[in-house]
Amino acid sequence: MSGLLLAAQATQVHLTSQTRIVAALIAVFFMLLILELIRRNRLQERYSVIWLLAGVGMLAFAAFPGLLEVIADVMGVRDTNVALFSVVLLLLLGLALNFSVIMSRQAAQITRLAQERALEKAREQAAEERSNGGSKSAASERA
Amino acid sequence: MRTLVFIPAWNEEASLAAVVADVREHIAGAEILVVDDGSTDATTARARECGVLVATLPFNQGLGAALQTGYLYALREGYDCCAHLDADGQHPAVEVARLLNEVEADRADLVIGSRYRDPDAVAASDDYKPTFSRRIGTGVFRFFLTLATRQRFTDTTSGMRAANRRVMSLFSENYSPDFAEIESLQLAVREGLRVEEVPVRMLERAGGSSFLTPLRSAFFIFKGVVVLLVGQFRPRRHAEAER
Repeated sequence: MSGLLLAAQATQVHLTSQTRIVAALIAVFFMLLILELIRRNRLQERYSVIWLLAGVGMLAFAAFPGLLEVIADVMGVRDTNVALFSVVLLLLLGLALNFSVIMSRQAAQITRLAQERALEKAREQAAEERSNGGSKSAASERA
Repeated sequence: MRTLVFIPAWNEEASLAAVVADVREHIAGAEILVVDDGSTDATTARARECGVLVATLPFNQGLGAALQTGYLYALREGYDCCAHLDADGQHPAVEVARLLNEVEADRADLVIGSRYRDPDAVAASDDYKPTFSRRIGTGVFRFFLTLATRQRFTDTTSGMRAANRRVMSLFSENYSPDFAEIESLQLAVREGLRVEEVPVRMLERAGGSSFLTPLRSAFFIFKGVVVLLVGQFRPRRHAEAER
């Protein structure tokens, strides 16, 4: 309770040096992981750009806490940590939406691919029946 | 006049042969294509035994994708008109032939077979008894679709339709995989196509059971309303210009 009051009275709550070091380390580790995934062909370059940008952003916030304080000011929050969480949350929301868009596009592509294959088979079958002299009418009579 | 009748089928080995025979008997001169939507049973084999064309999708993708496959085939192979009906035996081919007549006479671009169009027939008929949740869904969709299109629709989810090449070209590019029946009507009307309902008689399904549980129905209805709402704001393609 007293902690909350203190927080309310303080003009601004800043990131501690420890937070900044941890954040910077995580950012560096994260970017290395992305690069490694690309190197092992587990992640395509075109989908990695957005993640590398996220890593660079994380590093920038750790190195220049002033950035985050500006954001906190704009958002009207006193605690820089809240600004940090909000930024990360928004970023994740954007990424998730981005993936839904990509997923929708790929679902449509997969459907069309499956349809093309099915149509190709049907076309082959039709051509075969025509060349066998057995036209479709002969096929109907047979059945 | 070349006509294609296509039958989307997902695990319908039991009823398919009878449906194909029915179509052959009542729609003379039409070629038949069965679109097997990734069935795990012998649907494709049954269809081949019947001697009809088969387009087999490698995995199940839903009714919308299966119907679109049929429209694509009809469009690319140059058919003048096409029709589709369900593979479960609910749709008598005689009725489909009546829908095709409307399209062939160029009285409409897209014709829907409606169970509910003729109230006297609905009351008198013992053939088709919709469940409670289906009745609610039908009412909701009917209301919103009529509102959206300013045209009266009674059977929005009917899978018995006939269409000409204008519709083929529209549906082969724009067909919602999730909400095929309703959205396609909205789309066709928005694009300025002539859509018409014809009262038809439908039967109880011969095999299989309805996939709709009450909870699923509620979700289905909710999704449908969202789809219709979004559909109102989609950009038009202006099919009129292509006429």
